[in-house]
Amino acid sequence: MATEIPFKLVPEPAGHAAYVSEGKVYPREVSGRFDRLRKLAVVVLLGLYYGVAWLPWNGRQAVLFDLPARKFHVFGLTFWPQDFPFLALLLVVLALTLFFVTALAGRLWCGYACPQTVWTEVFLMMERWTEGDRHKRMKLDAAPWSREKLLRKGSKHALWLIFALWTGFTFVGYFTPIADLGARLVPFQWNGWELFWVLFYSLATWGNAGFLREQVCKYMCPYARFQSAMFDRDTLIIAYDPMRGEPRGPRARGLASVLKRARGLLDVRAAYDYVFRSSRHPTAADARIQTRGTITFDTGLDAPALPKFAAEELGDCISCTLCVQVCPTGIDIRNGLQYECIACGACIDACDSVMDKMGYPRGLIRYSSQNAIDAQPARVLRPRMLIYGALLVTLVAAWVIGVSTRSPLIADVLRDRNALYRVNSEGIGNGYTLKLINKTDLNQHYRITLESATPGIALRTSAQTIEVGPEQVLAVPIEVGAPAGISGRHELTFVIESLDGKVRRSISSSFFGPPQ
Amino acid sequence: MSATPQSADESPERPLLQSLGAILWPSFFAAGVATMVFFAFIDPLELREISFTQLPISRSMGYTIGFFMFWLATASSSLFTWLLLRPGSRFNHPMRPD
Repeated sequence: MATEIPFKLVPEPAGHAAYVSEGKVYPREVSGRFDRLRKLAVVVLLGLYYGVAWLPWNGRQAVLFDLPARKFHVFGLTFWPQDFPFLALLLVVLALTLFFVTALAGRLWCGYACPQTVWTEVFLMMERWTEGDRHKRMKLDAAPWSREKLLRKGSKHALWLIFALWTGFTFVGYFTPIADLGARLVPFQWNGWELFWVLFYSLATWGNAGFLREQVCKYMCPYARFQSAMFDRDTLIIAYDPMRGEPRGPRARGLASVLKRARGLLDVRAAYDYVFRSSRHPTAADARIQTRGTITFDTGLDAPALPKFAAEELGDCISCTLCVQVCPTGIDIRNGLQYECIACGACIDACDSVMDKMGYPRGLIRYSSQNAIDAQPARVLRPRMLIYGALLVTLVAAWVIGVSTRSPLIADVLRDRNALYRVNSEGIGNGYTLKLINKTDLNQHYRITLESATPGIALRTSAQTIEVGPEQVLAVPIEVGAPAGISGRHELTFVIESLDGKVRRSISSSFFGPPQ
Repeated sequence: MSATPQSADESPERPLLQSLGAILWPSFFAAGVATMVFFAFIDPLELREISFTQLPISRSMGYTIGFFMFWLATASSSLFTWLLLRPGSRFNHPMRPD
């Protein structure tokens, strides 16, 4: 029995289109204070990344994460697997630093220091050298394939690939000595792991900085998703001043800034209403540049388009859309703070240059806080700053003290698994493995003694002084004996002492005899 | 009887690449962290001693096997979560007309 169920597809309301493939963002080049700051950060950070790998330190690489040997060298310090709590604590400290800085000054990390930003900046530079500015790049992408397009695209990818391969090579150079890795390039003698990781990291660099770019920040980065939890209305953000800028619009030259006109600053409510209505009814120019922000105003509301304003009513925003064109994530900052904003300051530089041309004071878009923009009292010292700060100081102190007072010897005793005890002509024997790790750079001699409340329990091993080489891990079999007649479990303590008396470790274990 | 209206919160299906990314990337990240923590305490060579003593597994090989095992586990969990979060309408297709 086939009964047809009557149904019909309800078309989706307009504006709720399904996930459309995102258009490519072509950030326009910009120059100014914040751009110079970012370029400086790029040079310093990449210089550190590519340079530090080559630094020597006492005959070895200064920073080397030697995984096969399970040792991390960081300048004068050597970290062992047993030091893992320090790594965990260091990560907590770094996370807290990020929280502290974010609460205070917003997404400085994203705008200047994140590897994604830094490498994207370099890849964009190479793109500009080979394909030209924003306009030329858009034209080139739209044009059919030609000799020139092939040459330009080919040289861009060649540059990208060389840079990416160098990046991958440096990355692996932190895990295997880089000078040696370089020497084994010609003739080619890399092993499978080295080759795989160089290629993998190169591919990741090429893909992330060349293609994914802002998508990484918008869809892949966990920090971008939770950074707003650290924000409050006193956090430093990149903000557009709608009281001064609205209503936006082109105007004839010669109109002075609102700061010098009778109109003055708008009232806050009116200004945000203008922003909302402008975003609902974009001008043809705004629509053409296709801002991709996901800012959600109250969707239930609708407001009529703004009327055309007389010149003297206009605010200082001339609606040139430059702030949108330079944005690496393709948003319109005039709509307010959005999670896509990585606080790079490109829109500030762009807007400042326009304000200069118009003869208006700078700062229509500026580093500010929501409270300052809305003319509310602003505070720097908030409870969250004090809490983050106190936690940070405590943890950094704990880390420094912990690392500087690390024991130079790790000693561990394991009972042999195979037999609880052995009985032979000498009496009862128990087997142990003593694991010694000498964390210093020098040869060390250790004396092993045994303490036990039970008379008769003694070491049977003859050599009771053990030499352990610099940074050596040594496993020493030890036999402990007792006269026949001892039964059950007995406490004992191994004492490991360096001959110079500087280090002393006691490890408790048990001795077993036959059951009674 | 008319078709039950879909609830308002049912978003349109994401592109395959985005779903794949949302499953593979967080699980990759989690597997990386798990590998780091696990092998900070466990030496792969000691692990071999109590499991596959006859296989010539080096430390690097041990780390790699460990990482991919973790990734398999975390990716399976992500995939499962994705399946459970899929709205019913993705399964309850109306019958195609004969």
